Amino acid sequence: MDLIFGGAYQGKLAYAREIYGLADSDIFTCTESGEIDFSKRCVCALEEYVLACVRAGRTPESTFRPNAVLICRDISCGVVPIDPVLRVWREETGRYLQRLAASADHVVRLFCGIPQTLK
Amino acid sequence: MTVFISGGCKNGKSSFAQDAAMQLSAGGKRYSVATMQPHDDEDEARVARHVRDRDGLGFETLECGTDILSCLEHADKDGSFLLDSVTALLANEMFRDGGLDKAAPARVADGLMNFCGSVKNAVFVSDFLYSDAARYDEWTEGYRSGLALVDRALAARCDTVAEISAGICIMHKGELPV
Repeated sequence: MDLIFGGAYQGKLAYAREIYGLADSDIFTCTESGEIDFSKRCVCALEEYVLACVRAGRTPESTFRPNAVLICRDISCGVVPIDPVLRVWREETGRYLQRLAASADHVVRLFCGIPQTLK
Repeated sequence: MTVFISGGCKNGKSSFAQDAAMQLSAGGKRYSVATMQPHDDEDEARVARHVRDRDGLGFETLECGTDILSCLEHADKDGSFLLDSVTALLANEMFRDGGLDKAAPARVADGLMNFCGSVKNAVFVSDFLYSDAARYDEWTEGYRSGLALVDRALAARCDTVAEISAGICIMHKGELPV
């Protein structure tokens, strides 16, 4: 399992497509529905999944297929949001990233389209 | 040589950028491209401070808030150009007529790619606005995604890419000039 994270619009998905040779059919993009298609190799926008879990009072699932490619936005570096749901979202996404990074084989952070291997 | 520097505010980006421009311009002309269009006394004071600091270091100030290539008309292209900041340049272009110009990011990126190809040395400073948990209105989000488009183009094009955090340089590509 590999984790790719970084700020918004940093080229995370473009990097994953290139490195793993992903087709559109390999990619699942999370939405506010809070559902994940675990049959897809690449799951992106995991921060949206975390937000859905926060709203539903659920713990986000962190077990994926062994060759999964996970993409999540880093939302940890701003002002604490006034909205209490976004406040919990910000913290839960940070904790979730820690869990995913701990169990991932490789962790890459994207900065302005440039990958930096952290693990 | 071209250098792209980004990071959070007040982390030391301008200082690293200025040092890089000083190194690159040894023996040649050095220009400071001032992109901020002052709107109040506070802005005026900030601009005056920057001009004073950089005049002392031999920088000639080129005022250029939009149409970035226009600042090269009367400049020596074999010189070194410090452009601080990409953030202000895009804001000026994107909101210049009081509206939201969605074509501005691609236009600014094109202009800066052309700029890179036209001068001997350039150092670009941008701001990393992408890791917070806020939900923005359409204009702010459009500006943020637009700035990221320009940043990615510059990071791909420049020889050196550095992130400055707490005054410390994290190299993402190439080396800073010494």
